[in-house]
Amino acid sequence: MEGDLYIRLGYTMDAMYRSITRHLAYSLGVEPSRASQRDIYLALSYTVRDRLLEKMLKTSRRYEESGSKRLYYLSMEFLIGRSLANNLRALNLYDKVAEALELLGTDVETICDQERDAALGNGGLGRLAACFLDSMASLHMPGFGYGLHYDYGLFEQDISNGYQREKPDSWISEAPALQVERTDAACLVPMYGRIEETKDKWGRSNPSWQGWNLVTGVPYDIPIAGHGGVTVNPLRLFAARPSTEFDIKIFNEGDYLRAVEQKIESEKISKILYPKDSYEAGRELRLIQEYFLVACSLGDIVRTYEKDHRDFNKFPEKVAIQLNDTHPALAVAELMRILVDQKWVPWEKAWDITNRTIAYTNHTLLPEALEKWPEHLLAKLLPRHLQFIYDINQQFLDRVVSLWPGDMDRMRSMSIVEEGPPRQVRMANLAIVGSHSVNGVSALHTDLIKTALVPDFFEMWPERFNNKTNGITPRRWLCVANPGLHDLIEEAIGPGFVTDLERLRDLEPFATDSAFCERFLQVKKANKERLKDVIFNTAVVEVDPLSLYDVQVKRIHEYKRQLMNVLGIIWEYLALVEDGVEPACPKTYIFAGKAAPGYWAAKQLIKLVHNVGNTLEDDPKVKGLLKVAFVPDFRVTLAERIIPAADLSQQISTAGFEASGTGNMKFALNGALTIGTLDGANIEISKEVGRDNIYIFGLTAYEVERMKRKGSYKPRRLYDNNPMIKRVVESLASDRFCKREPGLFAWLKDYLLADNEMFFHLADLEAYVKTRERASKEYVNKTLWAKKAVLNVARVGYFSSDRTIRQYAEEIWDLLPVLPTEDEKIGSLEYTPGDPVPIATAKDW
Amino acid sequence: MILTPMEKNIDASIQDEFKTALHQAVDEGHNKLILDLSHVKFLDSSGLGVMVSTVKKLGNTGVLAFCGIQEQVAHVFSLTRLDRVFNIYPNKQVALDALATPVEDSTPKGEL
Repeated sequence: MEGDLYIRLGYTMDAMYRSITRHLAYSLGVEPSRASQRDIYLALSYTVRDRLLEKMLKTSRRYEESGSKRLYYLSMEFLIGRSLANNLRALNLYDKVAEALELLGTDVETICDQERDAALGNGGLGRLAACFLDSMASLHMPGFGYGLHYDYGLFEQDISNGYQREKPDSWISEAPALQVERTDAACLVPMYGRIEETKDKWGRSNPSWQGWNLVTGVPYDIPIAGHGGVTVNPLRLFAARPSTEFDIKIFNEGDYLRAVEQKIESEKISKILYPKDSYEAGRELRLIQEYFLVACSLGDIVRTYEKDHRDFNKFPEKVAIQLNDTHPALAVAELMRILVDQKWVPWEKAWDITNRTIAYTNHTLLPEALEKWPEHLLAKLLPRHLQFIYDINQQFLDRVVSLWPGDMDRMRSMSIVEEGPPRQVRMANLAIVGSHSVNGVSALHTDLIKTALVPDFFEMWPERFNNKTNGITPRRWLCVANPGLHDLIEEAIGPGFVTDLERLRDLEPFATDSAFCERFLQVKKANKERLKDVIFNTAVVEVDPLSLYDVQVKRIHEYKRQLMNVLGIIWEYLALVEDGVEPACPKTYIFAGKAAPGYWAAKQLIKLVHNVGNTLEDDPKVKGLLKVAFVPDFRVTLAERIIPAADLSQQISTAGFEASGTGNMKFALNGALTIGTLDGANIEISKEVGRDNIYIFGLTAYEVERMKRKGSYKPRRLYDNNPMIKRVVESLASDRFCKREPGLFAWLKDYLLADNEMFFHLADLEAYVKTRERASKEYVNKTLWAKKAVLNVARVGYFSSDRTIRQYAEEIWDLLPVLPTEDEKIGSLEYTPGDPVPIATAKDW
Repeated sequence: MILTPMEKNIDASIQDEFKTALHQAVDEGHNKLILDLSHVKFLDSSGLGVMVSTVKKLGNTGVLAFCGIQEQVAHVFSLTRLDRVFNIYPNKQVALDALATPVEDSTPKGEL
């Protein structure tokens, strides 16, 4: 029966060709000989989707039959980027499709380039979630991502005269070829309303949530293929729809437009991804989004559990829920509400189940990024949940009081509800209290959570806190992004390392093998050539692939210190044109990243990068030795182009601010050397690759913290005592970089010289510049550089997201893989139905 | 008296009509009502509001029982915890049997 079900699918070149042409004709209504590249891209995507769905159904059956525990990863962001090339490689179809596409008169790279990124995330947090999905599928783990099906992902960045302009990014046109709609699993989400105090049949108090509005959550499943394409897990994204197509009452009253408006109002919930640092803008809608995700997810999770269980005693043994930051923290209250109100589980028992099921990952130490919601907003939107939060808080504070009687300060700082005005609900506190595990994402970050962010909670529950250093998937960040390097490594150490990345250690002896290093540098050179074209086509800057590519690509934020990078460039520039000191080698500074639309300082930094770049370009004394390029519209696909081409990776955040960083890992895996502070995962990267193979500088997190506490950072002293620093700062205060817009950057002088400037730019500047100089000098020695770069690749196996996921699975989720049977592994992978008719070319079709 | 709404959706669009039917039955002196919801696939808060107001209208002298409830309606009852207040029976016959006894002796009632 199963054979019949899947009989149409083959995995040979012929089968791929037939499927593509069939989809061209019957899914798209296009004659294959007249198909555009976009048509072929869509037909190929449907072809791949067919096979992914087959594998997903089989995987689902395997999980069901095993009765194993399931992990649900709740995240407001899944930055998956493009899927097609990744899926082709996962299914081992890339070469076969390449051949098939040749018959259609095109090539696989061109076709894969047609795909738009699914930019359903801002940066690290969303990309981490996407890497985790890849790892869970590759490790055959029943792990499912739950998120929102935004119509518009993160905005598209345009640059006009050096200023960022935001354009809506509608990825939705891509979606049908990627996903399947699951109307059968739609769920109803109540919101707003009031609590009526009633009595149940036994005379007990019975708070009843009434007068709510219902919104429907329609799930869309995007198949996520693990390496080898045997296990395929769904990423389930919920879209908001009205609970009825139109409000018939309004409709019947003849007010058609108002009825349509009501429909649009419901759909607004999943319309747009909020850019980070801009949540304030649409505060209520953002809270609704978070609740909508939680309600849809929990509804689905409970329904799945109930298929096989009559009561909830085994819930924590069958279900694990991981909260990706506090955004889905309402899951604590929602699960309590479902268990107590809807499933009649006694409160204490429900609390035990909730606590044993949910775990929370913290992603930030920035106080302004710790979510708090006004109590009045929660009271309006989720009156019943607020009651649960009060009850949870009361029970929790009773415990605090019993442990530390009379310690009111501690009680105030630990309470889930912050005294006002306005009174606010602290989502991190709710998440910590409601979870059995709280983890940071790098060793330093976890340490700072324990000692600085929530020390009281750590004192209360030390066993609850743990570290899970982030990781990246080598499938995306090596196989897809840098096939040249992947093939070279495979030739050297044999296959299998992409699922066992620690095996990269076998590459160490090759660091001193001149023939290997020569080929390693050739791969890098080819990647740099490829990036040169991208930069020319998008930023209209001509760069020299023989120059050192010094790269900083990430969200634009003060703590990430793109400004310090620019100060370093200005330092070098002024040394060159005023002192005649040439850099050790020609250098190209490459920037990319988006600034939140409402984040003025970050947007000014983008403008500054452009203006400094233009000034250097126009100055004949620079003689092409220094270049600056800002590549617009940073996204996953652009990262896949930039990272393999980088020589030096800038990871220069103020120590103590970056939770982990994952860009740092991607660069090192692709053979770039890191220049960085002792922040986030840089510290662990440094330990792995060795201090000789990384450029570390600057204050430590503890030094920064001490200076902050004492208020002892006085940047003006550095300015007064160091003429080079003074010269750099003064150049910003003058109009040297903004002749056409006088005074544009004058604010930066005040900013940098303010007592206790938040991000310690000038404190680290001199050490930074000197370390850069050292890196440039070493870059000139190709043998030395290649050796260090190869050692970086060889020693970053630890940062595979497979390792991270194994740790989560063993230490938090208690989750086991459900391995495919031998039959499944060979399955229909090579099956092609016998067909006596030779395949027709597109022309004959 | 058994009332069997034939509408699939009990929502704002039929709220007034629904309310009239239920309250009229009470006004006519029927104090034991069975609402057979076997055709109802969707209930929203306005439909639920009508049911609540009918229970209130009946007060201590009557009873509104429910039977034939479908998945979504059951979900709404549990969401509001009214499944702990309402008298809900699996089908008409069980409801009829339960209501055959005098009101004050029948299953305990919640308070709205």
